[in-house]
Amino acid sequence: MSKYSVIGQRVRRVDGPEKVTGNAKYTFDIVLPNMLYGKILRSPHPHARILNIDTSKAEKLIGVKGVVTGKDTLGKKQGIWRRFPELCDEEILCREKVRYVGDPVAVVAAVDEDTAEEALDLIDVEYEPLPAVFDPLEAIKEDAPQIHDGVELNINVTRHIEWGDVDEAFKKCDRIREDQFKCSSQAHMCMETHDAVASFDYSGKLTVWTSTQASYYIQALLAGMLGLREGDVRVIKPPTGGGFGSKFELDSAQFCASVLSMKICKPVKIVLSREEEFTATKRRTPMYYYLKLGAKKDGTLLAKEVRVITDGGAYTGMGATALYLTGFFSSFPYKYPNYRYDGYRAYTNTAPTSAMRGFGAPQSTFAGESQLDMMAEELGIDPVEIRRKNGMTPDYVVPGQAFIQSCGLHECLDKIEEHIKQRRKLPPNHGIGIAAYGFMSGGIFNWFDTPYAFSAALVRINIDGKVDLFTGACDIGQGSDTTLSMICAEELGVKLEDIRIHAGDTGICPADLGAWGSRETLMNGNAVKRAAADAKNQLLEFAAAKLGANIVYDMDIKDRWIHLVDRPERGVSYFDIVKEAIRGKDGEVIIGRGHYTPHRKGMISPAYSFGVQAAEVGVDTETGKVKLVNVTTAHESGTVINPVGIEGQLEGAIMMAGGYGFCEDQPMDEGKILNPSIADYKLIRSLDMPETKILEIDTYEPEGPFGAKEAGEGLTNPTAGAIANAVYKAVGVRINNLPITPEKVLRALKEKPKQKK
Amino acid sequence: MSYHCPVCNKVSSSAYDLARHMIGRGDKVHRDWVNSKGFKFSELLALQFKSFGGEGYKALAEVLEKETKVED
Amino acid sequence: MKKELKLTVNGQPYELYVKPKTLLVQVLRDHIGLTGTKRGCSDSSCGACTIMLNGMAVKSCSILALQANGAEVHTVEGLAKGTELHPLQKAFLDYGAYQCGFCTSGMLMASRALLEENPKPTKEQIKEGIDGNICRCTGYNSIIRAVTAVVKGEYKEEK
Repeated sequence: MSKYSVIGQRVRRVDGPEKVTGNAKYTFDIVLPNMLYGKILRSPHPHARILNIDTSKAEKLIGVKGVVTGKDTLGKKQGIWRRFPELCDEEILCREKVRYVGDPVAVVAAVDEDTAEEALDLIDVEYEPLPAVFDPLEAIKEDAPQIHDGVELNINVTRHIEWGDVDEAFKKCDRIREDQFKCSSQAHMCMETHDAVASFDYSGKLTVWTSTQASYYIQALLAGMLGLREGDVRVIKPPTGGGFGSKFELDSAQFCASVLSMKICKPVKIVLSREEEFTATKRRTPMYYYLKLGAKKDGTLLAKEVRVITDGGAYTGMGATALYLTGFFSSFPYKYPNYRYDGYRAYTNTAPTSAMRGFGAPQSTFAGESQLDMMAEELGIDPVEIRRKNGMTPDYVVPGQAFIQSCGLHECLDKIEEHIKQRRKLPPNHGIGIAAYGFMSGGIFNWFDTPYAFSAALVRINIDGKVDLFTGACDIGQGSDTTLSMICAEELGVKLEDIRIHAGDTGICPADLGAWGSRETLMNGNAVKRAAADAKNQLLEFAAAKLGANIVYDMDIKDRWIHLVDRPERGVSYFDIVKEAIRGKDGEVIIGRGHYTPHRKGMISPAYSFGVQAAEVGVDTETGKVKLVNVTTAHESGTVINPVGIEGQLEGAIMMAGGYGFCEDQPMDEGKILNPSIADYKLIRSLDMPETKILEIDTYEPEGPFGAKEAGEGLTNPTAGAIANAVYKAVGVRINNLPITPEKVLRALKEKPKQKK
Repeated sequence: MSYHCPVCNKVSSSAYDLARHMIGRGDKVHRDWVNSKGFKFSELLALQFKSFGGEGYKALAEVLEKETKVED
Repeated sequence: MKKELKLTVNGQPYELYVKPKTLLVQVLRDHIGLTGTKRGCSDSSCGACTIMLNGMAVKSCSILALQANGAEVHTVEGLAKGTELHPLQKAFLDYGAYQCGFCTSGMLMASRALLEENPKPTKEQIKEGIDGNICRCTGYNSIIRAVTAVVKGEYKEEK
């Protein structure tokens, strides 16, 4: 019998009925009276100076109500790393220069989309094309074109992490491996593209409905760029069709719609086309990886040296964080006594690279887990055994970086080992590869320079006992609305249907940093739990008087029954106390406040989740095609609040991470993406999806609400590495650059020495 | 024996480590100092991704050995 | 030059005047106001706009509205009968067969079309039935479990 009434139950999501009946109104569906439609004109050049923009013909077209270029804006630059002005390098509407194919230069509002499109063709832009550079190793050369003023060698950011003495340690190793890897980009491909409806009214207030992961960031960045008070900008998040890391920065749809609306005082809607979504929104950061690993002959890892250069694209975005995290997670999930990471991010004239589910960790896990398997083979040690020998354990300290409390990695290794033994003898050209990972539950840094708590929540108890939960947390499909409602209900002692959640509206909800870095369950969950506890205490004060309890802490609420903990039969209905409490406070409703900001020096994140994944593949040696047969994951995420939610996150992660491993790719030519359509962007469809099995390990994280920690992003880390290892086990070829396409497999098979080992 | 960075005074225990620091900092003042000794900073940096011997650090370390050593 | 279009949507007859190049999905969403059907691409590859046209699952962005003249169209809004949800909708709710929900309308209609043509599909046939619909959130398996539950009779409709 569970000790919890709500959490851990298999429930229907709170936003379910709207979504399965087609009634949920996404930004995509919003229509306002007098609303106009906007379209953005984008640069056809990867690098060019803007000499002149003539919008006169477009303005005269019947049906066009407004045209805006960079010259009509305040000319500010913005960036999500607000604390570092040199990293706020994006104007969005370009004034003097364009830096990638797709960089916005003008925007038109018209009575319908067709007229707006027609108007774009009437805008004359005179460009002076400049030499462009597309590869980070070329971009750092002395003679490469400079992409941003004052940034020599196009080196945007550098990051370094170090402990111990790797050079000394390598001298003591019995085996050393040096390997290079290339990690590709990836498109988020949310089903709902970036979109926004902006409405500026005559009282000087701007309201923006937008598909977003962080309404607070959008509010703050828009206010800054438009010269408005933050309080005069209201960002509302309707049901949102996916994010995956692409929707917590200010984007062209939001900014351009707002600028237009401010000019003409009418609502403007901009919806990016699927092609714009592929070419002109941020994408996963491609990386060149150089790893050196040293071990003793018994498999003990002594030292790891990591050097990475990332392709930053045209602007910083969240690229600085991806650069740091890839170096941080390169040390996961093993205990390295000596470690060194040097990371560099270079600008190139391509679509900017930023955050995507995993945030640099899928790349580091692919490279690290591939190399570890190669080391294990050289030493003659079983892949599970070498991981067991070096795996992190509870209460481990990553020197100067992180303090890990709960960690179920070893139990996960045991379960996967069992699973591999149970798989029947594999057919020819089939193989099982494993990869282990660890991931954070949100980060502790404050690069946005926010004065607010990282998460905050308000709980309001109404006279009929219904509870309004206000939170800035953004549900982008991962289910935070449901998970947070469950946490609130559990803490308050009521049922899930007593909670009504209001989320992601900056006009009424407290600030939250948004749904990224896998932070909502732990950080916002803690805020919600504290707010519910605050409200509960206010009720218990009244109940204490009624029940004659010694102190408030002798009482609790469960299943709408307020009672003495030691004598649960002595109690009173939650509904009665609510009425009395409100009467007793002169009709003031009960409001509970809670907030959470992690505080710990030297810590990257309050908590980490771990797991091991085993991927079984079959390789067709005629075509090189890799088929995912089965993906089994043993993982631990602390207490499971919403089991249906976690299963969904795991299976969805396999689809996304598996795609990263063997089919999703964005080949480019001179900075132009060659496959900007769904027909040409290969991803996993229902027929390609493997069998999935989830092995849940029970752990408890003291830092998390009811012991919970992250699940959604960590599960995206291991699949590419597991697939690479599985392909090697299946047909004996090692592919070190993603994605593992049929062409690469065939080429490697041909080059493999004729003699089998 | 310690090695003091001529630009920002960071102290390293070896010339090689100091070279790493200077190439790693990547900012203008460090780059200018490195270039003033006849190196091309961008080439030293690019070498980090083309080889594992740390040749870029070695060359710079030789200069730092002579110019920045401080006897304790 | 607008032309006359007559069609039935979810049992309701409509008479409209549309430009020849208008797509069926635009008539459903913009003219009639049924926004449950979504659009996720411009090359008929994603399936978010799937509806039923004369009993078949069709991507409504791939046909001109006028080609549907005289046709019977069913969208996601027509699945529920009053407040009583369709068995597929109940199954989707119970099995967590959606997350962000943007592909859900298309998935439901593709599944309904499949079951009306073949009430006892195998797992492989269910996968084929929704192969034209992309989901970026769920990894498909929960959708397959939901449809399988309906096939097995877990949600027998009340007579």
